[in-house]
Amino acid sequence: MQRVPLVVLLLLLLTTSVHGAAPGVYAITGGTVHPVSGPPIPNGIVLIRDGLIEAVGANIAVPPDATVIDAKGAHVYPGLIDAMTSMGFPAPRRPRRGPGQPQPPDAQREEPVPEPTPATVAARSVRISNDDAAARRATGVTTILTVPAAGIFNGQSVILNLGGAPVETSVIRSPAAMHVAFAPRPTWTYPDSLMGVVAHIRQMLLDAQQHASARAIYERNPAGTKRPEANASLEALAPVLSRELPVVFAADTDLAMRRALALAREFNLRPVLAGGRQAYKIAAELKAANVPLLVSVRWPVPPSSREDRAEQPLRVIRDRMLAPTSPAELAKAGVAFALVSGAARSSEFLPGIRKAIENGLSADDALRAVTISPARIFGVDRQLGSLERGKIANVVVSDKPIFEKQAKITRVFVDGRELRIEPDERAERAEAASPVEGTWNLTVRTPQGDVAIRVTLQLEDGKLTGTYSGDRGSGEIRSGRLDNGSIEFTITVSGSQTQETSDWVFSGTVRESSMEGTVSTNLGTFQFTGSKSR
Amino acid sequence: MKNVKWILFLLLAALSAHAQSVTAIRNATILTITKGTIDRGTIVIRDGKIAAVGAEGSVTVPAGATVIDATGKYVMPGIIDTHSHTAVEGSVNEISLPNSGMVRISDALDPYDISVYRQLAGGTTAALVLHGSANAIGGQSQILKWKWGRPLPDWFIPDAPRTIKFALGENPKSANFRPPPGVERQYPATRMGVEEVIRKSFVDARDYLARWEEYESRRKRGENPVPPRRDLLMETMADILRGRIDVHAHCYRSDEIMMLIRLAEEQGFRIREFQHVLEGYKVAREIAAAGIGAGTFIDWWGYKAEAYDAIPHNVALMEKNGVLTSVNSDSDELARHLNQDAAKAMKYGGLTEEEALRTCTINPARQLRLDHRLGSIEVGKDADLAIWNGHPLSTYSRVETTLIEGEVYFDRARDLEARQRLATEKRELLKKEEEQQAKEKKGAKEEKKNG
Repeated sequence: MQRVPLVVLLLLLLTTSVHGAAPGVYAITGGTVHPVSGPPIPNGIVLIRDGLIEAVGANIAVPPDATVIDAKGAHVYPGLIDAMTSMGFPAPRRPRRGPGQPQPPDAQREEPVPEPTPATVAARSVRISNDDAAARRATGVTTILTVPAAGIFNGQSVILNLGGAPVETSVIRSPAAMHVAFAPRPTWTYPDSLMGVVAHIRQMLLDAQQHASARAIYERNPAGTKRPEANASLEALAPVLSRELPVVFAADTDLAMRRALALAREFNLRPVLAGGRQAYKIAAELKAANVPLLVSVRWPVPPSSREDRAEQPLRVIRDRMLAPTSPAELAKAGVAFALVSGAARSSEFLPGIRKAIENGLSADDALRAVTISPARIFGVDRQLGSLERGKIANVVVSDKPIFEKQAKITRVFVDGRELRIEPDERAERAEAASPVEGTWNLTVRTPQGDVAIRVTLQLEDGKLTGTYSGDRGSGEIRSGRLDNGSIEFTITVSGSQTQETSDWVFSGTVRESSMEGTVSTNLGTFQFTGSKSR
Repeated sequence: MKNVKWILFLLLAALSAHAQSVTAIRNATILTITKGTIDRGTIVIRDGKIAAVGAEGSVTVPAGATVIDATGKYVMPGIIDTHSHTAVEGSVNEISLPNSGMVRISDALDPYDISVYRQLAGGTTAALVLHGSANAIGGQSQILKWKWGRPLPDWFIPDAPRTIKFALGENPKSANFRPPPGVERQYPATRMGVEEVIRKSFVDARDYLARWEEYESRRKRGENPVPPRRDLLMETMADILRGRIDVHAHCYRSDEIMMLIRLAEEQGFRIREFQHVLEGYKVAREIAAAGIGAGTFIDWWGYKAEAYDAIPHNVALMEKNGVLTSVNSDSDELARHLNQDAAKAMKYGGLTEEEALRTCTINPARQLRLDHRLGSIEVGKDADLAIWNGHPLSTYSRVETTLIEGEVYFDRARDLEARQRLATEKRELLKKEEEQQAKEKKGAKEEKKNG
């Protein structure tokens, strides 16, 4: 990302406030009101004054100073909360390395984005563009939780309203939680394995404990004790160890969820699990652990070709089919959960929720999972999550029940201010399929012969994700990025003779239906070529 | 409170049901490994343990026992593989440091690795799952039983020792793990450096222990000292010195084998098993004198410079010179037929049938210090058994049934029957998915038209 001068950012923020009217007095009348805190109210009224909800009900006198908004035939909801995003943070990237990589001149060289630490406070660095906020609002989302999607300790998240106001006035809670991902670093940087990541997290928490006790001892008796060094990361972990701040672990599989819960037990943390794809497998266990979940509605996508699908093992297919039943299973087991977009595009949020409903979740439970439930998980349920007197006036109006396929959001209020809903062309363009997306057949030329690898790639928000398979193993690609036709990603392969695995780092260039470049491996650097499979 | 009572009741009920579970394998040729061969014999299994073994007729089969008729079949103890990288999620190497002793394989286990089931089909029931060999001192390894389908905690053996991987030679000096351009080459780059990394780690560990001792003594004197940092790597090194973690060392050349034997003496730690040890035959007496085991390949060699001097007689030569020797796999594939590698030690070096069988049963059990429960068919040991349709040292034989603690984890007849069912399930799921997608596509088109 090129660095945007502060002035431009400020200007952007200013133009936004011009867009929306000043918070005033509104009466939304005639619609079916879904307060979430109670049953739907046909022909109900929602009164908004000065950014807060003044009254909700069927028989409310409309004050004379109110602007009346006729919602006849429409449905009125609290603004939706998307409690797990990385909006407003650049996609993770790392410095490019390797020969044959065209190096941009110094002036154009990107500054590498430093990896977040526990001391990273999302509220201080989040930069949400108007277009991004508008795209989210067009799906009924008025509040998000956001945190960088990079590193092992991703930092401290912020919950904020998407009203186009400056961050300072949009923040609802900061820090909302500490975020942790089991994400190995690039090979040759500790920790570069999953087990290393667990050891790293464990050591960080131990160090934070030691730091806290060293400080306490010093403060009791500073004379004669060596003063402990200051350490922002370890100090940031203190509220995590004292259970003031919950820890959101990114965990999709049952194994990852159990791994997170084991760590949480080991250090007596307050865990929340984000991802939860395989929650259907262990719903009862999650209930017993009394852990809330942020279930990502970015459901697994099958490979595009029928042959690829048929080649997959049954357990992968089974998992793909059962993943969208996770919310229903959690509801049945009585686990507190929210539905979140995770790494999905904003346009995938409502369809993703719909899929959960098609797979057994009631529409009521779905609505709670994007309103009051996330508000409770993060302790902001006194301000948000339902249409009740005194709460923040985040209100959306939908022409049909909000989870119906053809439903359109017609009006959005954030902090009591109405914002126009405009189709965001830029966002649509950004979300259009890139030629890199799809299945590729790659050939790596090694001294031991050609190695064939099949890769299926997806792109969102500049982040390249996907899966690979071949004789040397299969899995998800890591550290993927695409930038102006140059591509980079890492896979883990097993050896031809023994099974020890190593990372292969691909970097090259992509055209419409071909790609080529080099692969850095433990045995040296090799050439690869690839073609797009239909 | 009521709930607790219920849970207790159910638990007791489950336990007593389990206690009553008795299985008998009858009419089998029993290869006990430690007590000879019984031509037509019976094994009675109670509570997952071997309750009785003997010739048919000399052992009473309790009424109500589940009977497996093994007429014409062979029963041997489950095969134990002391060099596995199966069932690990992500990389088996934490490659970034010369000493990665703070990491644990047990933090990254994947019980859904299909290789586990395939190894059960080859009679393998337990394994030492090792960290890779990228560093002089690798991560902590994990001994497991292949209890496919069971939750992970059940796979651990309660009294199994903790273990760690050391590695010598080409791999830890990064001869085979070259970093990509732009990344600095990591220390060590020579065999001398590998030795120094190990020595320094133990020296540091003693300093670390001294710091903690000082802290404790100051505390006891009533002072208020700041506790030292609890360092997971140093804790590991200290536990090796205290004999709480067993060392399994990857090595090839005789010179480096001797180096580690001397270094262990100097630093006061104990090596339990040399892994690979392809030149072990050159220094077999020295290895035996040091009381160290050897787990090796029977006929893999020449895949790198340090593997050029390997010979298939290595197993027999080490075994005959008093080294506790096993054949192991380092491979999901080989772990499925370690019986064949054991058999090759009869052809190359002339081990007897029983000696050959020991190299994949009781010998690895001893190397893992689990021979009180694994590795032979004896009363009181875990009922981890493989039933073969022929003699397991024949390349034509295959496993019919594999049991761990008396429970069937692989059964050939059941497997064949399940294949059809699973194929149908897969076909139907794929069909359902295609129908769903077609419906969604149609919906999207209509939406476009309407919008």
